[in-house]
Order: sequence, then structure tokens, then C-alpha cells
Amino acid sequence: MRYLRLIGLFAKVSVQNDAAYRADFAAHVAVTLLNFAAELVGLWTIFSNTGSLGGWNAWHMLALLGVFRGMYGIIGLFISPNMRRIMDDVRQGTLDFVLIKPVNAQFYASFRGLVVWRLADILLGAVLVAAACARLSAEVTVAGLALFVAMLACGVTIIYSFWLVLATGAFWLTRVTNMEMVFWNVFEAGRYPVEIYPPAVRWMLTYVVPLAFLTTFPAGSLIGKVEPFNVAAAAGFAALALAGASWFWRFGLRRYSGASA
Amino acid sequence: MENAPVCSTAPSSEGAALQCPLMAQIEARSLTKTFRVPEREGGLAAALAGLLRRRYRTVEAVAGIDFTIAEGEMVGFLGPNGAGKTTTLKMLTGLLHPTSGRATVLGYEPWRRESAFLRRVSMVMGQRTQLNWDLPAMDSFLVHLAVYGVDRSAGRRTLDELVELLDIGDCLRKQVRTLSLGERMRCEICVALLHRPAVLFLDEPTLGLDIAMQARIRRFVADYNRREGATVMLTSHYMADVTALCRRIIVIDHGRILFDGALADLARRLAPFKVVTVDLAGDLDGYALERLGAVLARGFRKATLRVPKERVAEVIGRLLADLPVLDLTVADPPVEEIIAQVLDGRGAPA
Amino acid sequence: MLLRSAFPAFLRMSLATMFQYRGEIALWAIWGVVYPSVAMAMWAAAVAGSPDGQTIRGFAPRDFAAYFWLTMVVGHATTAWDVYELGYFVQTGQFSPRLLRPVLPVWQSLADNLAYKLVTLAILVPIWAVIVLLTRPAFGTRTVDLAAGLPAVLLAAAVNYGWCYNVAMLSFWVTRMDAIGQGWFGAGLFFGGRLAPLALMPEALRKIASALPFKWVTWFPCETLMGRLSPAAVTQGLINQLAWIALGLVVFRIAWRLGIRRYSGVGA
Repeated sequence: MRYLRLIGLFAKVSVQNDAAYRADFAAHVAVTLLNFAAELVGLWTIFSNTGSLGGWNAWHMLALLGVFRGMYGIIGLFISPNMRRIMDDVRQGTLDFVLIKPVNAQFYASFRGLVVWRLADILLGAVLVAAACARLSAEVTVAGLALFVAMLACGVTIIYSFWLVLATGAFWLTRVTNMEMVFWNVFEAGRYPVEIYPPAVRWMLTYVVPLAFLTTFPAGSLIGKVEPFNVAAAAGFAALALAGASWFWRFGLRRYSGASA
Repeated sequence: MENAPVCSTAPSSEGAALQCPLMAQIEARSLTKTFRVPEREGGLAAALAGLLRRRYRTVEAVAGIDFTIAEGEMVGFLGPNGAGKTTTLKMLTGLLHPTSGRATVLGYEPWRRESAFLRRVSMVMGQRTQLNWDLPAMDSFLVHLAVYGVDRSAGRRTLDELVELLDIGDCLRKQVRTLSLGERMRCEICVALLHRPAVLFLDEPTLGLDIAMQARIRRFVADYNRREGATVMLTSHYMADVTALCRRIIVIDHGRILFDGALADLARRLAPFKVVTVDLAGDLDGYALERLGAVLARGFRKATLRVPKERVAEVIGRLLADLPVLDLTVADPPVEEIIAQVLDGRGAPA
Repeated sequence: MLLRSAFPAFLRMSLATMFQYRGEIALWAIWGVVYPSVAMAMWAAAVAGSPDGQTIRGFAPRDFAAYFWLTMVVGHATTAWDVYELGYFVQTGQFSPRLLRPVLPVWQSLADNLAYKLVTLAILVPIWAVIVLLTRPAFGTRTVDLAAGLPAVLLAAAVNYGWCYNVAMLSFWVTRMDAIGQGWFGAGLFFGGRLAPLALMPEALRKIASALPFKWVTWFPCETLMGRLSPAAVTQGLINQLAWIALGLVVFRIAWRLGIRRYSGVGA
């Protein structure tokens, strides 16, 4: 309960901060809309030339695009800004200010700043998914929707854990900031279903870099395009990733406090 | 429009700068700079309201200042944070355009940013670096020489000289980010002087340095001023910087000049007090020092009093008569205190 | 002339800096590989789903491979990031020391740009080679296409650099530039023809693309190098590139004057 209140407080402070940069705020919303328009225009371009993309038709792709945009928004809302701050803190030795706070350090470090305008991405993503669902009402079932929500939660957990491991890497490597670049490079490939890639790449994007769990599988579960094996894999992978990342974080902290003592 | 140098300021002719008829090298007339800053109250509601409509407040950072600085002068520019010191320096280097008023430096209007002007001035900013953080300092030095079009062999000579004077031979091949603050500051000064600027602006050059390093940088600046006859304008928080380097100081607060003149004058005019310190053989035993003057410190066998000048003789007489005095000194109050008085508005401005 | 000594010095320093950061900039450079690769895979899948299952508007999968491979290379040769960088310098106060120098700051940025492109070749050339081996692109390039295409790439780099810097100068007026930067890059990807060759775009979008500089930065040099354009279209394209460069210079001169006035008006 206390932790929920804290998140609320972090969000409030973040709104105030972001609102201070008025032109920026407007511009960010404008960019989100521009991105959104560009993606729709991209879809238009693609489907004015073809009927399907790896077995996904235009409305399927719209749902996938919604998931991609929403995921992008979630990462930008709290994951990437906070993880970036952890890396900066480790480098500058200011992580101590996090550690002396009387709350769980992982929680505090993961949620202390929210980039509020990213909510616009999440909202737009939701609108796209809803529009696709309305159009595909024959294919979308209640069970499919429930599965979709569950898979989405798994996806967010996996990507959060992935970033936490990256950020914790800063305890050992000083230049991990660039790993962020690697991530965005790979994430770009999640804009399309993994089915479009050659089999070897597809396998890697599923089981090595779990990109498929972030976009293809959640969107696929909505329209019955996901195999039961991958549902189980998502659940298992999410649980493992979270536990592993938390352990790694604590391990890193021990090293940090040992080194700075 | 440019002031042609009337006499040589070659470093070889000793004291050349002093023999020159003094020319105005920096001139400010009613120099004014105002900023418009957004106003915002705390709280979520105010933040959201600020998104829609924003209120602005006009801040007068520099409110019509006048001064003239002659060639070869070294002037201390004093004032609390936000007094307008840096804003003034930025106008004189051409980084800021004044809201109104005039200024000339070396006969140029700084904000026209003519190449010929830029090549004869330099600015050291304590908090900002003009060195490339990721490369050895030497690389930045060589680039600086090229950018300022310094002749290769002359540049090399200046560089060797500065490296030796500043004792930074060991830093040249180290990445700038790995240098200590003291080393970095000396490199910073080195790079600023490579093109032998005729006018040097120093903005908090000793900020954060230890006492020994401050003294070293001070000595170097004084030396440069003497050798090259360069005009130096210096801002600093450390009074010692200013008292050691500058015969003339300008005190500024809220964008206005409160005092402009010789340091010695400041003490005379604004501090009609002396500080009297006595060491005693016995205890004070509740002796009513307060009757004699303001008690600045009172110890077991020691006391310090602030006494108006005209009463000094009388007070000394009393002390000697009433107490077992071992030692007695009379001194001017410390500069810090005088400046504090100027800023408090207690002393009458010049 | 001061620039004659300053620019080589800048270039040497930029090369040294880029070499310091070779790891980081390699990652940036690889970004330029990912986007075209994804587009390549996507269009290959789209061909399979198209009505005839063989080509889309004359592009077979191996033509797409050639086109997107070229966008990769041309994209690298023409890249510019000043939209972000200048804003960052202005905001953090690092612009002031640069402005104090008797040489225009744009020259130092240009040196950085060239140094980046040169240093990253070390990692990109092998990657480009591997991609050619894996995707077997169908290049229809003749000598005459090379003769026209190489100047077109150089002019494209000038168009993009000049306009990128022009947009970057908005940072004298706007506090944070990331939004404008994203808009600029997004438009460059789409209207430059990096998501799809312009022929595949709906008519309305192609009209918009014609009014913007981006198609002369990527699409035009790529299709020239592929040998898909008629001699008349190539000539027309080169003239258009020159016109955009000339216009860019005029805008630069005006915007720089106004920008510096603004910068020195509100605080450095």
C-alpha cells in the first residue's frame, strides 16, 4: 500500500517536472502523434502492395503495432529512464542516496522517476489494439483477451528484468550506457511479427533475445496465433527473469557497498 | 575604430605596460542586461496551469553599470552569487548581447564577435572547460593554436613556456578527465593564454582549489599580467585572490556598482574603524570592555575590540591604565568584513 | 585564412576523439544496419504475400536486398546528428566556449561528422560485406551509374548535413530539441525512402516527399546506383540536390545571424 502511494507521489512530481518544460511537453505529444502517423502511413504503404506479412493481414498488423507502441511507451514511461539513472548514479557515486532511503532499494530505484508523456504512447497503443479487436471481432474471444493481458504482463516483466540486468551491469562495467543503444537496435525488429525473419533469426529473436515475447506473442494471443508451448514459455521465462534479475541486483549491490567501503 | 597600440607591450621590455600612457581598454557605459524568466509556483495545479499560460518576471541582472579599465590593469570584480558578475563578463566577451548601453573592449563592440576581437581576448570559466574531456590536454592545446591561427613556431614557444611556468609537463599526455581539479585548472589557464590574449577574463578561476593551488594560480596570473602587460578582469569568491592580485576592485550587487576604486581607499572610506587586540597577563575578571568599543572576541586573557578611529588613542590609554597588558595591536579590519559592510549598505557607496 | 589551419586541426582532434569512443560509435553505426535489414526482411515477406507472389512493382526480393543494402551504405555516408548535438551544447553551456573561438562552430561539428564516418567504416565494411554474401542482392549497376551515383552520394551528404544543421539551429529558440530531432529523423526515414522505395508509396505521400529534401538524400542516390533511373531523371536529381544545397546555405546564413542574436540575447 505504502509502495503504491509512493508510486503515486513519484508520478505527481514527474508531472510537475515535465510540465515545467511546456514547449517540450507539447513537442513530445506532437512527436508521439507523428510517430503514430508514420506507423500508420507505413502500414498503408505496405498493405497497398501486399495482402499479408508472414501470415498477418493488415488488421492483425494493426494490433501488433498497438502492442509495439504500448510496449515502447511502458519502457519509456518508467523502465529506461530509471535504469539510465541507476547507471549514472553508479558512475557518479550517488547511488548512496538511493541506498540510504528507508524503502526497498530495487523498488525505489525502479520507480523514482516517470516520464509522464509516454502515457500518450500507451494510450495510442491501446486505441490501436481496440480498433483491431473491433474489426476482428470474429477472431477475438474472451479467453483470447484474457490470455493477451497475461502475455502482456509477462512481456513487461521480461523487459523490466532485462533492463535491470543491464543497469546492474554498471557495477562492473562503466560504459554500459551503450547497451541501451543495443537494446533499441534490437527492439526495432519487434515492429513486425517474427514470422517475417528467416528461421535462424526468428529462433534467436525468440529464445536468445526474447523479443518475440514482447510484441509478437501478446498480439498473437489476441488473435489465436500463438502456440501453447510459447504461452508456457512466456510464463516460465517471466518468472525466471524477474527472480534472476532481482538476485543479480542484490549481488551487484553487495559488491557496490563492498567496493565503496 | 580600433585602438592601435601606441607602444609595444613586448615582454622583453621590462615594465613596458607601466610606462605606456594608460589607454581605456575596457569601457562600459550604462551597460544593462535584463532577462525574462518564467515564474512558477510549487504544486501540481500550478504546474499544469503553467502549461497553458505562463507568467514572466523581468530580472535586471546588470542595471546600467559604468566603468573604464586601462591597459595592463588588473581589476577584481566582487559580489555575491547572482550579483551580475558573470553576466557582465559574458557581455564583455561577446557571449551576451546587452539590453541597452554600450561597451567596448580593445576598441571593438564585443557582441559583433569579429574574428580580430576574439583572437585577442580569452576567458577562463572555473566551472566550464574548453578542453576536450576525452583527449590528452596536449591535443586541445595544438587545436587551440591552429584555431587561433598562431604561427607554428611561436605557438610552440609559448606552449613550452606556459607548460613550464604552470608546471603541467606531466599532465600533457593524460586524458583531461583523469586530471585532478588543480591540474585541470592549470591546463585550462594554459589553453586560454596560448594565443597571448591582450585581455583576459577570469571567472572564478580558483573555485574549489586548495589554498596552495589558489596561491600558485594567483602568482601565475600576476606574473602574466606583469610580463605581457595584459589587462585582467577577475571575479572570485575568495577575497584572498582579489587582495593579492588587484589594486583596484569593483563591487557589484543586484546589478549595480557599489564601489569602484582602490582597495586601500575602500578600507579608509568605508571602515572608519580599527581593530584593537590585547593580550593580558591576568584575567579580564568581568572588566567592562563594552564601554570602550564593540567586542569582537573575548577570551580568557585576550580580547578584540572594534573601535572608531577617533577614539583609538583614548581606548589604548584606558586599556593600558586599567589592565595588565602584555601586548597590544591595532589593525585595519579584514577585507571580508569591509565588503560585507558595502553589501549590507552600511558603508556609504563611493 | 584561419580555417585552413583550423579545419585540419579539428579533424585530427575529432578522429582522436572518435577513436577513443570507438566502442560507442560502433553501436551507433550498427543502428544504421538494423533498420534497413528489418525493412529488407519485411519486404521479402511482403513479396510472398503479394498477388503474384513474385515481385512488387518490379522489385523481386533480391532487388529489395540491393535497394536496402544501398540505403544502408548511403545512409551512413549522409548521416548527421547535429539536431541533437547542437541543442545539447546550447543547453549544457558547452556552446559558449566554442562561440568564443574565432572560427564558426559549424566547422568543428563538420569535422566530427567526417571523422565519425571514417572511423566507423572499420566495423561497417565487414558487416556490409557479410550482408551482401547472405542476401545476394541483384545490383544492376553499370559504370555510368557509378559515375553519376558517387557524386550523388556526396551531394546527398551535403544536403543532409546542411539541412540538419539548419534545423539544429532551432535550439537557439527551443529549450529541448529531442522532440524536433525525432520528428526530423522520422521524416527522413519515411520520406527518404528508407522504409520503402518511393515507387511503392501511395500517390499522396509521394507528393509530400517531393516537397522535402529527404528523397534527394537517400532514395535518389540509391536508385541511381542501382541503375533504375533514366539519364534525364539522374540529371534532374543532381540539379535538385544542388538547389537544396544552395537554399540550405542561404537559410544557414540568415538563421545563424538571427540565432546568435537570440542566443546572446537570452543568456549563454
